[in-house]
Amino acid sequence: MKVLVTAKRVIDPYVKVRVKSDGTGVETANVKMTINPFCEIAVEQAVRMKEAGIVTEIVVVSIGPLQCQETIRTAMAMGADRGILVETAEEVQPLAVAKVLKAIVEKEQPRLVIMGKQAIDDDSNQCGQMLAALLGWPQATHISNVTVNGDSAEITREIDGGLEKLTVKVPAVVTADLRLNEPRYVTLPNIMKAKKKPLENIKPDALGVDVKPRLKTLKVEEPAKRSAGVKVADVQELVAKLKNEARVI
Amino acid sequence: MSSYVAPLKDMLFVINELAGLDDISKLPGCEEVNAELVEAVLGEAAKFAQEVLEPLNRVGDKEGSKLANHVVTSPAGFKAAYQQFREAGWNGLGGMTEYGGQGLPHLVSNPVQEMWNSSNMAFCLCPMLTSGVLEAMRHHGSPEQLQRYVPKLTSGEWSGTMNLTEPQAGSDLAAVRTKAVPEGDHYKISGTKIFITWGEHDMADNIVHLVLARLPDAPEGVKGISLFIVPKFLPNADGSPGERNDVKCVSIEHKLGIHASPTCVMQYGDAGGAVGYLVGEANRGLEYMFTMMNHARLGVGLEGVAVAERAYQHALEYAKTRVQGREVGQRSGDRVTIIHHPDVRRMLMHMKSQIEAMRALAYLSAATLDKAKHHPDAAEKRRHQAVIDLLIPVVKAWCTEQCVEIASTGVQIHGGMGFVEETGAAQYLRDARITTIYEGTTGIQANDLVGRKVGYEKGVTAMAVIAQMRETAAASTGDLSAIGQALSRAIDALQEATQWIVDTFQKNPNAVYAVAVPYLKLFGTVGGGWMMARAAQIAQCKRAEPGADVGFYDTKVTTARFYCEHILPQAAGFRQTVVAGADSVLALSEAQF
Amino acid sequence: MAILVIAEHDGKQLKPGTANTITAATKLGGDVTVLIAGHQCAEAGATAAKVAGVSKVLVADAPIYDGWLAENMAALVLSIAKNYSHLVAPASGFGKNFMPRVAAMLDVQQISDISGVVSADTFVRPTYAGNAMATVQSSDAIKVITVRGTAFDPAGDGGSAAVEALAAAADAGLSKFNGQELTKSARPELTAARIIVSGGRGMGSAENFKILEPLADKLGAAVGASRAAVDSGFVSNDYQVGQTGKIVAPELYVAVGISGAIQHLAGMKDSKVIVAINKDEEAPIFSVASYWIVDDLFKAVPALVSELG
Repeated sequence: MKVLVTAKRVIDPYVKVRVKSDGTGVETANVKMTINPFCEIAVEQAVRMKEAGIVTEIVVVSIGPLQCQETIRTAMAMGADRGILVETAEEVQPLAVAKVLKAIVEKEQPRLVIMGKQAIDDDSNQCGQMLAALLGWPQATHISNVTVNGDSAEITREIDGGLEKLTVKVPAVVTADLRLNEPRYVTLPNIMKAKKKPLENIKPDALGVDVKPRLKTLKVEEPAKRSAGVKVADVQELVAKLKNEARVI
Repeated sequence: MSSYVAPLKDMLFVINELAGLDDISKLPGCEEVNAELVEAVLGEAAKFAQEVLEPLNRVGDKEGSKLANHVVTSPAGFKAAYQQFREAGWNGLGGMTEYGGQGLPHLVSNPVQEMWNSSNMAFCLCPMLTSGVLEAMRHHGSPEQLQRYVPKLTSGEWSGTMNLTEPQAGSDLAAVRTKAVPEGDHYKISGTKIFITWGEHDMADNIVHLVLARLPDAPEGVKGISLFIVPKFLPNADGSPGERNDVKCVSIEHKLGIHASPTCVMQYGDAGGAVGYLVGEANRGLEYMFTMMNHARLGVGLEGVAVAERAYQHALEYAKTRVQGREVGQRSGDRVTIIHHPDVRRMLMHMKSQIEAMRALAYLSAATLDKAKHHPDAAEKRRHQAVIDLLIPVVKAWCTEQCVEIASTGVQIHGGMGFVEETGAAQYLRDARITTIYEGTTGIQANDLVGRKVGYEKGVTAMAVIAQMRETAAASTGDLSAIGQALSRAIDALQEATQWIVDTFQKNPNAVYAVAVPYLKLFGTVGGGWMMARAAQIAQCKRAEPGADVGFYDTKVTTARFYCEHILPQAAGFRQTVVAGADSVLALSEAQF
Repeated sequence: MAILVIAEHDGKQLKPGTANTITAATKLGGDVTVLIAGHQCAEAGATAAKVAGVSKVLVADAPIYDGWLAENMAALVLSIAKNYSHLVAPASGFGKNFMPRVAAMLDVQQISDISGVVSADTFVRPTYAGNAMATVQSSDAIKVITVRGTAFDPAGDGGSAAVEALAAAADAGLSKFNGQELTKSARPELTAARIIVSGGRGMGSAENFKILEPLADKLGAAVGASRAAVDSGFVSNDYQVGQTGKIVAPELYVAVGISGAIQHLAGMKDSKVIVAINKDEEAPIFSVASYWIVDDLFKAVPALVSELG
């Protein structure tokens, strides 16, 4: 079966994010970028399924500026067969992402779409669910295991405090959680090979999708700094502070 | 505790702009190499270095490799990491494409090597030695030997070692005594070799030793040494490791640093002679070793860059987190992190500016080595060969000497905590300490420089390089004119000292060798200044481009200025020592010491 | 304006985040209706009716809502969505799963994980793992929102809302719920833990070190140690937090009997909230602590356990 995976280009998780001084967003110019870690897990899953003989072709999609080609090449070096870049310089919000992907799914007709559960930049956790809704497909989010058997898939999902088991009809959209797998290190020969794999570049217009943002970002700020510590008299006061002030318990 | 982050921005800047990746892409066999590929390769290598090799660096230092019953066990995690390393194909980075390598040029493979060394120098020595063996095979191995050994060495299934030193034959290889007696299609090797890096270990399926030994009828001295392949397991016809050869590790050294890397005493022929196969022709072993020398010495120079970078990152993190004292002139208010203190700043700049200069000179050498190897035009090829022959001892010795100093400054920034092993600063200093010694000590490099490289050819190549430096100084105008002037003065010093070497070499070689090391340091210091001035020029132009990383380029210009103000003035001192300091070196009689 | 809060519950009680979500909903200004969907969840409907600020409770009680399959939950919410200006759910695994589905079907861009309400159409939400707080304004007719529970106080009792039954929507028939496996309080791993309780040399002995366990269990925390505690043999070295041990940054780090050697601080200083318990008034750990108690840990720790209930 054919699988579609997505690969978002995000600021490297090891880079300390800096909020722009004018409050319009975070500094992304000349900052190290990488494939979204959850997308990387999604790609790894597809590659493993291909190695297991379940998947025949892996198509990787990225949406964003031209530099997303690097992200696609990374996914292809991991084992994806070909790439599609939907090139746009605009901010593409989750609903628009889902619409773009829907158009590609209709063209490519995959049996399974594997995405990351969320991107580590805007932390929205929406795209997979929205894509499934728009396609009228079942979804399985935050998965830690997936087995496809013909027209259905057995799923284990991570839920608060444990695991949940689902059976979903195929085609479906699934989104990867951290424990689904541990992505491989890309091998040097595969980096070289990825250069030669096909990579198609299309524009959202060509797909007939309006990607105009619906949410307007008014400002972006640094989170409040940890204030200087205080001495508390006893455990009662401590627990009260932890509950009401720090809100960590 | 800091964690290593590969300095990809600076690496890519040096590769693309300073060392000139475009020129390398034009060389035959390098057509596939472009900026995008380099970024992808370096990016993935950085991940591997940071996530797999770096976490083992402390473990390796603490545990060390262990010997029991002639078996060496590598520190916890090393075997698995090596397995990952070779499965990811990194061992074949520069390897021959016909045997499974990727054939990438030095300008790509050396920066990757820098990352391996920054994250875990002791580990990196194993693949580095293998690449040395491969280099020797490439030039001198028979087609049958290439078939048999090169694919497995390229994949890393087998590792390689260099067996030169013997207890009585260190820097003086003429004293090699290991014997090779012909027997059918092979030779029986017997003798003791010491300082054999990764001579025995549990990470690879087989170990291919390259051994220098003497045939029974060989002439005395360096002209009577031959080179042999002595595998730990004799390969079967199908290529799998077969019968155990008569070679074993009898001891491993207890060392100041690189604890994870077993430095072995190898015993050949205790049970009648180890089976060895002659490489190339008899009695030309030492000459063959010299063909790999540039490759190997550049590799050690890069270790200097790498460990210095690591020590810098470690000290920087400490300086940014350690709170101690108030800002100068403040008697009250908050205590500050020590990076606020001017002298800590100075130390950090000292480290940073020199590391960037060292990296640039090392990568420039890598590019020059590529051109010397691959340039289609014979005259150009010769010209680049002459330049690289000149630069190699400088890069090897200067980068490693500065590395020791930089790692020591790293400890200094930590204050008392740096002297305590727990902070980890000391490991870099201990690990760095070997780099000025092996693969030819600093003294040997300096002798090579003043003798074979400058003296014999009457300074022709040196003066040509100096002329190139002058072009850079002359082009440093406008905002960069102070840099240009500082560089010009330093070049004057280098030129005068070079002239003195040329003038003195014939009539008083002892005097020249007495000041060879100061001359080499002078060459490195000015070469570094040359690189930083060029970097500043490029940064100045680039920062005006739309979307430019202004922060990076401005930092580069400031760092270049620091180098010119704090490091380059040393050139005048070195010059003085060179032209007027030889007498006092040699003035005392032995009894007066 | 009319606001619908889709509640997370266990059939009887509301899950903790839901009461906080109701608070966020009340800040939007408008009548708050709570939707309880599930199987055999009437009691949860009654509980929701008692929450302050809730004006109506809808209960959709049907077997197809067992397990809250996203496809069925979305269909249910969509069946009444047009009656509301805001659809709100906790940004827990529950709300995250079906709310975007609802939003997509309404052609609405959801606002995820809000931590502040500026106005009825403008919200604050954390991005980049909380390193950048974005204020965003929605232009959609219906706002679909998930709420970060810890950012709002829980709504209290005192309500008396009417409870109405809501007819189930058709079963989408796309997926099947096969059950849950909830983990019994096995302690989390140090580097993954949200809360860590660490002991130092002040614990005195391996035997004494065990008094941290009830505290860790209460908090669902991992247990760590300083190097001094490891070197003294109180615990094995895989417990060690610090420069040469594990580097951690949990939401809450409780340092017990740890003086705060620089090597230890290096391993935990990025924790969001640091609590220190030490009897030495001058202990350097207090310099990084958010809250500290100067007291004998053998008194303070058991007292803390009982205070946590």
